[in-house]
Amino acid sequence: MLQVLFDALSLGSLYALGALGIALIFGVMRLVNFAHGDVIAFAVFALLWPSVDAVAIVFAGKMPWFLLIPFILAVGAGLSVLSEVVVFRRFRHASPATMMIASFALGFVIRYFLLMLFSSRPKSISLLPALSQPVEVLGARMPLLQLITIVATLVMLTGLSVFVRRTRFGLEMRAAAENFTMARMLGVRANRVIMGAFALSGALAGAIAIILGSQTGTVDIQMGGAVMLMAFIATVIGGLGSLEGAVLAGFLIGAASVVMQTVLPPEARPFRDAFVYGAVILVLLFRPQGLIAARGTKERV
Amino acid sequence: MAQDAQKPQKSVLLRTIATPLILTALMVALALLTLAVGSRPFNQTMIDIFVRVILVVGLYIFVGNSGVLSFGHIGFTCLGAYAAAWLTMPPMMKELSFPGLPDWLKAVQLPYGPGAVLAALFAGVFALLFGRVLMRLSGIAASIATFAMLAMINTIYANWESVTAATNSVVGIPIVRTIWPYMIGAIVAIFVAWLHAVSRFGLALRAARDEPTAALASGIDIPRVRLVAFGLSGVVMGLGGALMAHSIGVVTPDTFYLGLTFITLSMLVVGGMSTLSGAVSGVVILSLLIQGLRWLERGVPVGNTTFALPGGLQEILLGVVMIAILARRPNGLFSKEFAWPFGARDRRGPALAATQTVPEGDA
Amino acid sequence: MSLLAVSDVTIRYGRLTAVREVAFTLAEGEILFITGPNGAGKSSLMRAIAGVTPPAGGRIDFGGAEITGRAPEDIARMGLSMVPEGRDVFGSLSIEENLIVGTGMHTRERGWRVRAASALEEVYDTFPILKERRHSQAGLLSGGQQQMLVIGRALMTNPRLIAIDEPSLGLAPNITDQVYERLIGLRRHRKLTLLIVEQSSTRAMMVGGRMILMRGGQILLDGDAQAMGQSEALQAAYFGYAEGEH
Repeated sequence: MLQVLFDALSLGSLYALGALGIALIFGVMRLVNFAHGDVIAFAVFALLWPSVDAVAIVFAGKMPWFLLIPFILAVGAGLSVLSEVVVFRRFRHASPATMMIASFALGFVIRYFLLMLFSSRPKSISLLPALSQPVEVLGARMPLLQLITIVATLVMLTGLSVFVRRTRFGLEMRAAAENFTMARMLGVRANRVIMGAFALSGALAGAIAIILGSQTGTVDIQMGGAVMLMAFIATVIGGLGSLEGAVLAGFLIGAASVVMQTVLPPEARPFRDAFVYGAVILVLLFRPQGLIAARGTKERV
Repeated sequence: MAQDAQKPQKSVLLRTIATPLILTALMVALALLTLAVGSRPFNQTMIDIFVRVILVVGLYIFVGNSGVLSFGHIGFTCLGAYAAAWLTMPPMMKELSFPGLPDWLKAVQLPYGPGAVLAALFAGVFALLFGRVLMRLSGIAASIATFAMLAMINTIYANWESVTAATNSVVGIPIVRTIWPYMIGAIVAIFVAWLHAVSRFGLALRAARDEPTAALASGIDIPRVRLVAFGLSGVVMGLGGALMAHSIGVVTPDTFYLGLTFITLSMLVVGGMSTLSGAVSGVVILSLLIQGLRWLERGVPVGNTTFALPGGLQEILLGVVMIAILARRPNGLFSKEFAWPFGARDRRGPALAATQTVPEGDA
Repeated sequence: MSLLAVSDVTIRYGRLTAVREVAFTLAEGEILFITGPNGAGKSSLMRAIAGVTPPAGGRIDFGGAEITGRAPEDIARMGLSMVPEGRDVFGSLSIEENLIVGTGMHTRERGWRVRAASALEEVYDTFPILKERRHSQAGLLSGGQQQMLVIGRALMTNPRLIAIDEPSLGLAPNITDQVYERLIGLRRHRKLTLLIVEQSSTRAMMVGGRMILMRGGQILLDGDAQAMGQSEALQAAYFGYAEGEH
C-alpha cells in the first residue's frame, strides 16, 4: 500500500516537473513546446563525450554531485534560452498551430543532432550510483533515489512557488502570463520575462534529466519523449497556463497510472495506458478548461 | 459579377473548381513523370507521396476547416491499415497473424480495391463514434483529446495480440506496386475535400472557425458540422491507411503513431493549414525536400570524389528549413487557393480562401 | 512644446483601414477627449500610441522623442501610461500586486523603494477602497473598483501622460461620476496630462477641455468641448453615423 503511494508520488513528480516546464512557457507565450523532451535528452548527453559506442564515455559526468547537478540544470536552461532567442522569438505573433509545429521541428533538430554525435543506441551510464541503494521508510523498501526524487521535487516546487509569489520577477511573470500586452504597457520587459520563463523551464528539464538518467541507468535520445507526452497532457488537464494546475494534474496522472497498474485485472494491464488516456478524455469533457482554469488564456502576445 | 449573384448555388462550384482541377493535373503529371522515369525506387517514392497526399488532405478536411489541430487522425489511418490487412490477406496467413479474428472475417479475401473502400468506411465509423464525444470540445482541449484518442488506439493495437498481432510486424498484405490506384486515391481525396469545403457543412464550419460568436448566433450547430468533417476526414485517413498498407506490405502499430502524426501535420502547416492547395503542395514540397536530402546523404559524385552529408544531417536540415519557412510565412506557403492564372472570375477563390489576419482578435 | 504629437497616422488591419491620416497634438497639462461612435478608430489609435499595434504610416512623438513602432514597455518607461479598454486587471493577482507591477520600471533608480511606497500610499489615499481590499484578488472587484484599480495602477508608474480608453464602459452613471471626480482631482494636483477616449461626448462637455470627434477613422472636429456642444456641427457629425458605419 505504502509502496503504491511512493511509486505514485515518484512517477507523479516526473510528470509534475515536466508539466510545469511546459506550463511556464505556455503562460507567457502561448507556446506548447514540443521540444521540451529533447531538451531533457540534451541535458543528459551533455555529460558524455560524443561517440557511437554502447558504453558511454563519461566526460563532464565525472564531476562530483554538487557540480554535476548545477551543470545539468544550467545546460537545460541554456539550451532552452537559446531556443527562444534563435527560434521562438520569430514566432511571437504566429498562431498556436504554427508555433507548435515550429517547436516540433526544433525538437527534431535537437534529436538528430544528438543522433549524429551519439547514434540512436541507448547507452548505459551510471549517474549518481549511490542513489540506487534501497532504504526502508515506514516499513516500505524502496530505492533511495525514489525518496530523493520525491523530496527533491517537493523542494523544487516549493522553491519555485516562493520564487513566483515573492519576487519581482515572479510577479512580472504572473502578470505577463495573464495579460502580456497589459504587462508590457506597465513597463514589463517582454524579452526578459520570456527568457526567464524559458530558463526556468529548461532548468526543470535538466532536473528531469538527472532523475531519469539515474533511475534508468541509460541515456537514450528518446528518453524525454514518454515523460513529455504525459506532462503535456497534464498541462492541459491542469488548465493550460495554470502552474498549480499543471503540478496537480501531473501528480494525478502519475497516481492514476500507478493505481490502475495495481487494480486492473492482469489480462487488462497491458491496456493500462488506454484506460489512462480514456480518463484524460473524460476529465476534458467535464472540465474542458482544465482542473484549475487559468485566467486570460485567450489573450495572446 | 451580376450573373454570379443571380445563381449563387452554381457559382460557388464553378468559381472554385479550378482548385481541385489544378491539383488533379499536378497529381496526373507526377504519375506520368513516374512512368517516364520508370525506375522502381522513384516509383516507390511517388507512391509514398500520393499516400501522404491522401493523409494530409484527410487532415485538412478537419483541421483546415475547423481550425482545431488534431493529433489523433493517424489513429484512423491505423484502423484503416489493419482493416485492409484483415480483409485482403490470404486466410492462411491470417490464421497465423490474427488467430482471434472471427471465422467469417478469416475466410474473407477481398481484392485490394474493395478492401480499401471497406477499410475507409470502417475508419469513418470509428471517427463518427469518437467524434460524437470529442466534438464537444474546442481549442487546445480538443487537440489533447484527439491525441489521447490516438494513444488509446495505439495502446490497444499494440497489445491485442490475437487480433492485431500486437507489436509484431504483420506481413503478407498484398503489395500493390502500380502507381495508378494511389494516384486515383489522391485525386478522390482532393475532390472529397473540395466538395466538403464548398458544401454547406464546410462553409458553416469555416464560418465557425473565423467568427465563432457570429456563427453561433446564426444558428450553426458547431459540434454537428465539426462531426461531419471529422467523420469524413476519418474515411479519407482510413483510405490512406489501407493504401499505405498495400504500398509497404507490412504494418506495425508504431508505423501509425507520433512520427507519422508529426510529419503529416508539418506538411499541412508548412503548406498552409487553411487551404486545400496548401495541404497538397505541402506534401509535394516537403517530400521532394526529404528525397533530395536523402539523395545527398547517399552521396553525389562531385568531380572524382563523392560528396555525402553525414547521417542525421538530413533531418536537421529538414527541421531548419521548416522553421525558416514558418518564420517567414506563419500561415504556410499557400494561404490562398490555386485558381486559374488567366481571366479568373475571382483570383482569391473566395469560398475556399483563408481568412487573413482578423483585426482585434475574435476572443 | 507639445507632450504628444500624432502626425498623419494611418492604421490598417489587413485590407481594412481603421485610422486614416489622423493628426493632433496634446500639450503638457492639457485634457483631451477623443470621442466618436463605435468603429471610429479611437481604440486603434490608442493601441498605436501605446505601441501595441504599430501604425502603417505617419509618426508619433512623445516628450520630444519619436515613439513610432517602439515596444509598449519602452513607451511606458518614457512616461506614457495606457489604461486600455475593458479594464485589464490581472485578475488572479492581489490588488496590491496589480499596483506594484508598474513600479518595476524604476528599480534601477536610486531610492525607488521609498518613492514606490509613497506612490502606493498616494493611490490608497485617492482610492481608499483599494487599501481596504489590498490583499484580495483583483478579479473579485466590482467594475467601478476595477476601473479605480487600473487608474491607480497607471499612476504607480509615475507617468507624464495617462491615456484612458472608455473609463465609463459598463459602469453605472454615479460610479462614472466618482471615477471622473478622482481623475480631475488627480490632474489638478499632479499636473497630469490626460487623454480620455469616450463614445459619447456628453462627459467631455460636462468636464470641459478639448475634444476631438472621430468617425470612420478620421477626425471630424477638434475644439473646445463645451463650445462644440452648442454648435450644430456636432449634431450633424454625430447623427451622420447611422448609415455609414459597419
